[in-house]
Parts: sequence; C-alpha cells; structure tokens
Amino acid sequence: MVRMGELAVSASADEVLVSIGLGSCIGVALFDVRRPIVGLAHVMLPAAEAPSGPVAKFANFAVPALVEEVKELGATRLEAVLVGGAQMFSFSREDGANIGARNDGAVREELDRLRIPVRAAATGGSRGRTVRVYVDGVRVTAREVAGAEQQLYGREAP
Amino acid sequence: MPQYTDLQLDALRELANIGSGNAGTALSAMLGQPVDISVPAASTLPLADAVEAAGDPESPATGVVLPICGDIEATVLLLFPPEDERILSTLLGVEPGTEDGCSALGEIGNILGCSYVNSLAEMTGLSIEPRPPVTVADMVGAIMSSVLAVRADSTNLALLMDSRLMVEGQACELTFLLLPSLEGIDELLGRLGLG
Repeated sequence: MVRMGELAVSASADEVLVSIGLGSCIGVALFDVRRPIVGLAHVMLPAAEAPSGPVAKFANFAVPALVEEVKELGATRLEAVLVGGAQMFSFSREDGANIGARNDGAVREELDRLRIPVRAAATGGSRGRTVRVYVDGVRVTAREVAGAEQQLYGREAP
Repeated sequence: MPQYTDLQLDALRELANIGSGNAGTALSAMLGQPVDISVPAASTLPLADAVEAAGDPESPATGVVLPICGDIEATVLLLFPPEDERILSTLLGVEPGTEDGCSALGEIGNILGCSYVNSLAEMTGLSIEPRPPVTVADMVGAIMSSVLAVRADSTNLALLMDSRLMVEGQACELTFLLLPSLEGIDELLGRLGLG
C-alpha cells in the first residue's frame, strides 16, 4: 500500500504496489525496461522549493527519489506509466482548481528532464482511480469507482 | 509542525459539537424525524492518515464539498455512503442517483454546512460564509485526498472535526467533516481565547 505522499519499490515477483483512491493525486509507476523491478510514488502536489513532509509529496522531489530507489534495486533504463491527476471538483474560483492537471504536468516535466519515456497514462478527467503495479509481468492497472480493473501496460513473459 | 494542547482540542470539539447540533436540528426539520448526533472527534493527523480516517478509501460515497471563505478558510465535507444516500433520498422523496437526487443531496449538504458554519460564526464572532456546494460520487479516498490537497502546500497535518448524524429509526448515517486551514485553526482558537 502506497499512501498519499509515500513511495515504494519492489523486485519480488509476488508483490503488488497499490495506491487506492487517487483523485487529484497522481501515481507514478516506474519500471526497468528489461527486468521486473518496479516502483510507485503517490504524488500529492506539483512542486515546492524545499522538501517538506513525506518524500513523495511534491512531484519535483518524488520523481528523482523514486528513480534513485529503483536504481538501487538494479534498474538501469526506466519507463513510466501515470495514473490519476483528475479534477474531482469544478469550483468556479481558482483556489485548488486543477491541482490534478498541474500534477500531471509537473510529473511529465520531471520525467522528461530525466529522459524517462511515458509508455501509458490514465490521467485527467473527473473520476478517482486506484492504481496497481504488479512486479510479476510488470503490469500496471487502473480502476475507477465501481469499475473493472483495466490493464494499461504489461510485458510478455520472456 | 503545530501541536495542539488537550484544552485546545477540547475547545475545537465543543465547537464541532455545537455546530453539528445545529446541523442536526436543520436535518431533523427537513426530514420531520429526530436526528441523533455522535460526540464529535477533533484530531490532528498526518495527511495520509486523515485520508484513511474517513473510512475505507476504495469504498464508494457521495461527497458534498463546501468551501468556506471569509475570516477563516476551511472546507466542509459531507460523506454519504451509498446505502445511506438511498435511504435519505427516499425520506426526501427523490430518486437516488438521479439528477434530482444529486441536487437534493447537494441542497442537504448546503443547509447542513451553512447551519454548522453559522453557529461557528456566531460563537467566535468571525465573518465566514460558505460557497455553493459541489457534489461528487467517487471513492472516499479520492474525495478526501483531493479536498486535503487544496491546503496541503504549507502543511503536512490536517485537523479533522468529525461528527456523525444519524436519523432515528433509520439506518441512515452521514459523516460531517470540517477541515480548517492552519491559519483558520489559529484564528478559531484565538477567538476562543486559547490561541
């Protein structure tokens, strides 16, 4: 379970990393292009000047921290899948308006900077999502409320 | 990181108590049925814990969100689990899940939120007013985290003032949360002479 502001990595075939109920938050899944080494960060906000609070709270600190952790497990070349970043409430005033889209933009900018391609994404819209990252088969799925689990990315067994 | 004393949390709990008491009276008048109110809780929690405090994050619920502006910034959130929403809609004579049902729920949220906030305003002498409600049906976790994210830039803690209203003789319960900004909490405590 990867809660808001947290991140986790794994290379154990029987493990699944899960973030439940992503609204405006965004789930960043990273994996090695060859080996089953995965990571998931549950990012809450786009950017801060200095880190504060949990490690994955802000996109600009969360993405590099996640990269470092998957590399420690032996990952070399990375790819990403993004889930979340919805606009749950449509208030007329700007306050809090579209944190989801700003999170999406900030995460992509950071991945771009680190030259990590985004292979699939289920972002934007107005619905919350749950993301699951399976080490086995390097599969990433997304599920909306009362919906079915949909596979966004998966790798054929070698 | 702000920490509140037991005395301060007691005072906030008492505010929540009076606020939800007024909201319960308003709900009771709307439904023509007695409404019970649980003893409210006031607690400060790390943001990730605050998300989970509202219930199983993957379970579905309808949330009515009222942003509060004026002397303090806060968010009022009412959460209706699906079964309770169904019962409440039936009591109101609207079809649950329809546009009418949704707008009736939003209106309930509006009336409850306003009566809660008005009693806070009266007790503290603050000028505060709720903005029009937004109703959303989704996972509890997605609703809570998105509400919390709006104020999370400068804080890693949330103050939850949590009450439950129960319609007597019906298995119908709703959760009522007040999430003030940190400055809002200081302002509330200041007005109570506990700042």
